[in-house]
Amino acid sequence: MSKNRKWVVIFLTPGLLLFAFAFLSSVVVLFTSSFMSWSIGSDISFTGLSNYIYLFTKDEGFIKSLYNTLIWIVLQATLHVVIGTGLALILAKKRWYSNAVRTIFFIPNIISSAALGMLFLCIMNPQFGMVNNLISKITGEAFHQNWFMDPKTAFLAVTMTWLPYAGLVTILVIAEMSSISDEIYEAAKIDGASSFQTDLYIVLPLMKNIIGTATVLAATSMLQKLDIIMMTTSGGPGDRTMNLPMYLYRTVFTNNDYALANTQGVILSTLGIVTLLSIRMIYKMDKEE
Amino acid sequence: MKIKLRKALALLVTLTLAASATACSKPSTQTKDSEVSSVSEDQASDAAEEVKEIKEPVEISYATFMVGAHASAAAEKEVIDAFNQEYEGKIKVVIEELPSDDAYVNKMKTLAASKSLPDVVMGKNGIRELAIANGQAVDILPFLTADADWSAYVGEGAIDYNKTDDGKLYSIANQQQLIGYFYNKDMFEKTGITPAKTWDEFMSNNEKLKAAGFTPLALMTGENAWTTNLWLAAMIGTDGETGKEFMNTTYPDTYNNTSVVNGLTMLQKCLQDYTTPDAIGAIYANAANNFLQENTAIIANGPWMCPDFSDVTKAKEGLQDRVGVALYPNNGIIAQYEVGYVLCTNGKSQEEQDAALEFLKFKTNKFAQGVFLEKAGALPLTPNVPISDEYKAANPIVADLIKLSGEAEYSFGNIDNNAYSSVVAEFSIRYPELAFNDITAEDMATSLTKAAELNK
Repeated sequence: MSKNRKWVVIFLTPGLLLFAFAFLSSVVVLFTSSFMSWSIGSDISFTGLSNYIYLFTKDEGFIKSLYNTLIWIVLQATLHVVIGTGLALILAKKRWYSNAVRTIFFIPNIISSAALGMLFLCIMNPQFGMVNNLISKITGEAFHQNWFMDPKTAFLAVTMTWLPYAGLVTILVIAEMSSISDEIYEAAKIDGASSFQTDLYIVLPLMKNIIGTATVLAATSMLQKLDIIMMTTSGGPGDRTMNLPMYLYRTVFTNNDYALANTQGVILSTLGIVTLLSIRMIYKMDKEE
Repeated sequence: MKIKLRKALALLVTLTLAASATACSKPSTQTKDSEVSSVSEDQASDAAEEVKEIKEPVEISYATFMVGAHASAAAEKEVIDAFNQEYEGKIKVVIEELPSDDAYVNKMKTLAASKSLPDVVMGKNGIRELAIANGQAVDILPFLTADADWSAYVGEGAIDYNKTDDGKLYSIANQQQLIGYFYNKDMFEKTGITPAKTWDEFMSNNEKLKAAGFTPLALMTGENAWTTNLWLAAMIGTDGETGKEFMNTTYPDTYNNTSVVNGLTMLQKCLQDYTTPDAIGAIYANAANNFLQENTAIIANGPWMCPDFSDVTKAKEGLQDRVGVALYPNNGIIAQYEVGYVLCTNGKSQEEQDAALEFLKFKTNKFAQGVFLEKAGALPLTPNVPISDEYKAANPIVADLIKLSGEAEYSFGNIDNNAYSSVVAEFSIRYPELAFNDITAEDMATSLTKAAELNK
């Protein structure tokens, strides 16, 4: 036992040291500087909780960014996962189109976000975009909706650049489904369960952990969305599509306020931890069935 | 036995990984080895180093966004090539190319945070202020005063424009900006209009152009909302002495005034009725393309756009003959110097400082200003860099603009140079709201004031 402990220490030490230097030190700087006043050219001074108080009581842009981020987390953790899981259940039946659909559905996940942003800018372009052209063809009238810049449609347009593309969820669920023994399906069939009933009462409960994992991945991805928003709306019109990473970026690069940006970083990290723990709790992921 | 073998193998793998990870420290190990070598070897090595140092050119760093399809890319390349040729073996410029103005500004701001700006940078959009704040920027004034030739080509106007409140000079331009607007003479003729003398006539012209089946204005609200903000600057800057004074104020703290609100109200109408459907959210390239392809009748921009009019890869054939230039209504013109180049060598070795200064002098000297005039339509800083009659004959639009500038009643700066970078960013996210009637001109002015307060 003591020998094993020695090996555990030997193998864990390099990783822990790397973590401490590369990650933990950054977190410490992030956290401590959130209680300071800090911008290029000014002295760093301790200001207590003033950054937190300012963000939650006076900074309307921050509140809106936090609100948008929360909405996107909820949408991603629900609709996105439902779409991915639903498709996985259909494709797992191994029909003639399964492989082709699975591959096509996964394409948005392998394209870089910046390229995807450009792609959507073209597709939704008010002058020559495919979406407007299609609507024009159907209605027979010129249609020039500016999807990304009209305050009425901007949030929906940005959401549509990631919400339906749940290829990763589909792949994860299909992989897990392949581990279900054929005997279980046969037993359900003998008991007279329909395909839908089998999926609902047998397959989905067995997929609980992987769906939980996919939900964590999908929800936390909303805490990192920056490039696609920057490519499409830069957080506008106004702050309708502003999320926390984009607002943090603006605080640093246009307002030169590093302390306030780091305070937002602490809140963003806390939101990530809360999201992770909530999903684990909802899915009871740490409990063995 | 098997367990021991596994452990031994695991240890071997760990050691191999550790050895690989430390491989990068090899050079320092070699340095240590050399320390224990004989004295004679050290001396020989030192001598060789000295010879090497003499032969190796001093390296300086420079970042530029004037690359690729940028209007000034050809001029920039020619100037840098000429510098490298003249200083071959003495100074080597290591260039970092950034694909757009936005990418450039963001990268420089990131580097400013870690005090690692390149030796020479363009100080636009708040980069100069960050370089001053982080202590990298050098006061150029003593060097300019000591060099009469250089000082004569730069001129008092550009020097005074960029001086800070404490009388220091942290940046110097290589061109002056004279910005009116270009119009399509064919479209104007077909519509039966001439360049407007008043803002009422301007709006009436837009209406007539629209009725004649032409889209009047090439606007864009993405990036720094360049072409749109030129119109706003003109609307404010020609609104009497108050407006002119406001547009000649560097970094205004408040936008809640009648001139700004009136300008924004007029622009709201332009964004709604007199521009292309893609203008809201569009970048400069979209607006330029709309004018060059004759999709719109008017674009506000500087003379650096003129080479594009005759470039058939960008514009419709013969466009240069169909383009005219005009002053803004109420006889206004945007006339100011660029923020220009900043020398960021404070704290570096003397030879690096000297080399970077040489590069800065070269970038702003008579030759460079001449190249930028010829290749990029950028106007020189002083009459000491003359604009030849041949150039004027070959570039009648630029010649017309220079002539018109003498008739201007109001001259003022542009928003990109005068406003805080937080305000410039605010324009691009508020214009869509203004265009879609989501906010009023008064609301937008308040948002701009709030953005100015956020700048640190």
